[in-house]
Amino acid sequence: MPHLKAAYAKYQNDPKVAFLLVSVDEDPKRLQRYVGEMKFPFAVARLPIEEAERTMNFDNLPATFYVDTSGIVRYQIGGFESHGDSPARIAWFIEELKTTRR
Amino acid sequence: MRVIAFALALMSPPAFAQNAAQQELERGRALWDQRLSTSAIAALERATQDPATRAAALEALGRVYTFKGWQQDNIFPGWHDEPAYRERALTTLRAAIAADPSRASAQEALRTAESFAAADHVDPAPPRAEVAALDAKIDSLRSNAGAPIAEIVSAIDARFAAQADPAPYFTGAQILIDRGEYDRAIALAERGRAASDRFIDENSAAYQMPGKLQGSYSRGRATAADLIGWALFNKKDLAGAQARLEEAERLTQGQDFANQYHLGEVARAANAPDRARTHYLDALTLTAGPPPLRARATEALRALQSGNSGAGSQPFDAWLEAEVARRREARHVAALRSLVDRPLPRLPLTALDGRPFDTRSVQGKVLLLNFFASW
Repeated sequence: MPHLKAAYAKYQNDPKVAFLLVSVDEDPKRLQRYVGEMKFPFAVARLPIEEAERTMNFDNLPATFYVDTSGIVRYQIGGFESHGDSPARIAWFIEELKTTRR
Repeated sequence: MRVIAFALALMSPPAFAQNAAQQELERGRALWDQRLSTSAIAALERATQDPATRAAALEALGRVYTFKGWQQDNIFPGWHDEPAYRERALTTLRAAIAADPSRASAQEALRTAESFAAADHVDPAPPRAEVAALDAKIDSLRSNAGAPIAEIVSAIDARFAAQADPAPYFTGAQILIDRGEYDRAIALAERGRAASDRFIDENSAAYQMPGKLQGSYSRGRATAADLIGWALFNKKDLAGAQARLEEAERLTQGQDFANQYHLGEVARAANAPDRARTHYLDALTLTAGPPPLRARATEALRALQSGNSGAGSQPFDAWLEAEVARRREARHVAALRSLVDRPLPRLPLTALDGRPFDTRSVQGKVLLLNFFASW
């Protein structure tokens, strides 16, 4: 999560890039406390976990999707990858989608 | 069989049932101390059926549910609280008090659970004092090169008896490899593998998601396979070592530093320099790995490259840096997964205040969409 905040610092003034966090928490009190502690600078929404697993087809958390400007999912990352959850890696995916189209 | 039936006939039925219920209660408590949740709960539930043990068994169950509901976040890798148990914890502890209103320990357990229910945040439970002391003993034996092997093995057995997670076996296997006791190390790693599977079976609900559960099984089995493979390598059984280390590689999807380093060592000993080079590079491409092991992998690779006539022109450090960067890039690309190249499904999101979330603000942009849970 701190990696997402660090990566976002680079894109907060970029009108072509958006970050959206979706919580699958069952316990709204706990989520409120967590969101309060983390002070995310981007939007946080909620979705019931069964709905999220069914529509997005993941079975591990966190699950990260990179979506291009035409609404197509282009990359999907499950869980904390052992060498990947760095701001530089997040920026790598975003830059790919900003610069490539097909 | 006839002898048993005869003995049962001599006992008055209530006395027999009471004795059995008392045994179930004690067994359930002991299983819970070991954190074998499913078996503990089953034994305690049986003990609730007898009036003589009902209050004590309900209290014990209520304490298990309290722990599961509020106190098990990350106490083992991949574990989360199970909020579904919170209401059951309160109901069960109230039932314990209803069964025996004078039961002070149940009243105290209920007060604790009620305070958890009212709190914004509950800290995960610390390890039991007995377990922490036995872990400390293993640590002290590990750093004492003269410690007798029998003492090490008995410390490991004692720690496993106190809590049934596989960690003492895996630690013990590593210590015995360091002492040159390879066969005993292999035996401990085998026991660790079985213990890991059982421990995860008994606590499968704590993982919340199938991917986390599967990942935990794989981690335990990979740890055992890597330790066994490394012990076999030290015994000069290269083929056996290779088979076990490759098993660990599949289970970790090539993502474990020590395992890749071990595979590199086996390939080098087997006179397969290309394979060795690949494994050392795969290891160094991972960002994990203790610095001494990284240094050893780097030096092994340097030695291989200096014997490689084709590599001549470029200095080793620059070559290594470029190779590692190239490999990391390739792994990024391999991150392509199932929803890839498909339209993002419509998601009925709500905002934190419960109202529908308006997705227009993210449409037409490059979107990073991250699903998470605070547990």
